[in-house]
Amino acid sequence: MNRDVLVIGGGIAGIQASLDLAEMGIKVHLVERLPSIGGRMAQLDKTFPTNDCAL
Amino acid sequence: MDVGRHPNINLLAYSEVEKVEGQAGDFRVTVRKKPRYVDESKCTGCGACAEKCPTVTSDEYNLGLGKAKAIYKYFAQGIPSAYTIDATICRNFQPGKKCGICQKVCQAGAIDYKQEAKIFELSVGAIIAATGYDLFDARRIPEYGYGRIRNVITALEFERFLSASGPTHGHVYRVTDLAAQEALPEMEKVCQKAVKGLERYEKQFSMTSDEFYGRYESGEFKGGNEEYDKWAAAVVAARKATAELEVLQKKVESIESAHRLAFIQCVGSRDIRFNKYCSGFCCMHAIKEAIIAREHDRDAQVYIFGMDIRAVGKGFEEYRNRGAKEAGVHYIRSRVAEITEGKNHTPIIWYEDTKERVVRQMPVDLVILSTACQPSASTRRVAELLGIELNEFGFYKTASYPPLDTTRPGIFICGCAHSPMDIPESVAQASSAAARAAQVLAGSGTMRLAS
Repeated sequence: MNRDVLVIGGGIAGIQASLDLAEMGIKVHLVERLPSIGGRMAQLDKTFPTNDCAL
Repeated sequence: MDVGRHPNINLLAYSEVEKVEGQAGDFRVTVRKKPRYVDESKCTGCGACAEKCPTVTSDEYNLGLGKAKAIYKYFAQGIPSAYTIDATICRNFQPGKKCGICQKVCQAGAIDYKQEAKIFELSVGAIIAATGYDLFDARRIPEYGYGRIRNVITALEFERFLSASGPTHGHVYRVTDLAAQEALPEMEKVCQKAVKGLERYEKQFSMTSDEFYGRYESGEFKGGNEEYDKWAAAVVAARKATAELEVLQKKVESIESAHRLAFIQCVGSRDIRFNKYCSGFCCMHAIKEAIIAREHDRDAQVYIFGMDIRAVGKGFEEYRNRGAKEAGVHYIRSRVAEITEGKNHTPIIWYEDTKERVVRQMPVDLVILSTACQPSASTRRVAELLGIELNEFGFYKTASYPPLDTTRPGIFICGCAHSPMDIPESVAQASSAAARAAQVLAGSGTMRLAS
């Protein structure tokens, strides 16, 4: 049994999945196509319904 | 932020999965890390390279609304913070051209034009595909004029306008007004050059251009020196440039921020021609942008055109009402038939008011299209790599229970790769997918696989 996990996509979903697994003590390989992670959410200014800053 | 630092996360940015073999509990994955031509471990992200880079291009992060250089950071707070060279436009990579400026100015010595792609072989027990979404290309609905009528933009473009880190630093202007503002310095340069070009003649003949031209017009210098004809032509050109500059200056001075804003909902979704499904987050996204636009500009008048407002999440209905109460958002139950362009680049919305059963028109400063959430362009490719199936809409096919399991054991999905959803739901799904993956590693995750 292999103990690592591969996550494809570094948007908010991929980031959250990676962090959860990493916090469980599991080694994660996070692959992102673009030069930086963040995905669409990084393009948002604020988020509903609280108008918190997205970044 | 934590992702870049976490000891258990191996971040492979600017990379793509090339091959996946094996089965749940024992996948062998090949990943290709594309060359950045910048050493990630050396680059401090200072930006001196981009400042001096001579190659200007449009900025992908700001959806082409801003400017970027051939050596760029995808966005300011991006992780990893290293810069990347776009080899398709960088001079150094064009045949017969040379540059090397970024290498000279980089104090960290991070620039490496000879960097090559790296191949990694990984062994993993489970895979989570979180490949996200793309937005519907509004050009596919020609009657809305996106791409043709410049003051028709998409909701994500509007988001960049509203953002303090965006191309307008949070100010909302009509796109045509922005273009005029941008054109002004260039026009000033052209005008200055034209006026300066006259000085040579003025010195040569010890006469002001105005005086000369008056006398030239009355026929005084006809048929003589060729230089006189050239001078006269230069005077005409300079006067024309000055006049054009004055018009542009007046136009730029009179520019106000865009006050009348109209959102069009369901652009590419709930539409049998394109996507039948509801794209979920666009109603709330439009309301959010409307509220923020109003915060930035107390005079903003915002109209949201839609079949209905779908506010089904926690606190969403209250948010909808807050939009109406605090931000004065007008919700207009309608179907927009067409957008035309009136005088001074003003978009005019033609719509059926379904309550009063009449066709109306409304001129506005900016039209914002709430474009649908669609499977990302890479979804099909990743599905083929992973050997998993897609559903009728092109999203990954999932079991009805457990809902994040794909058609192949050990591979899970989350977020908008599953279906359109907002951020809290994506985050909740991500935690759920992480739990499913952990179950596989613990030797139990495949037990509950749906058929």
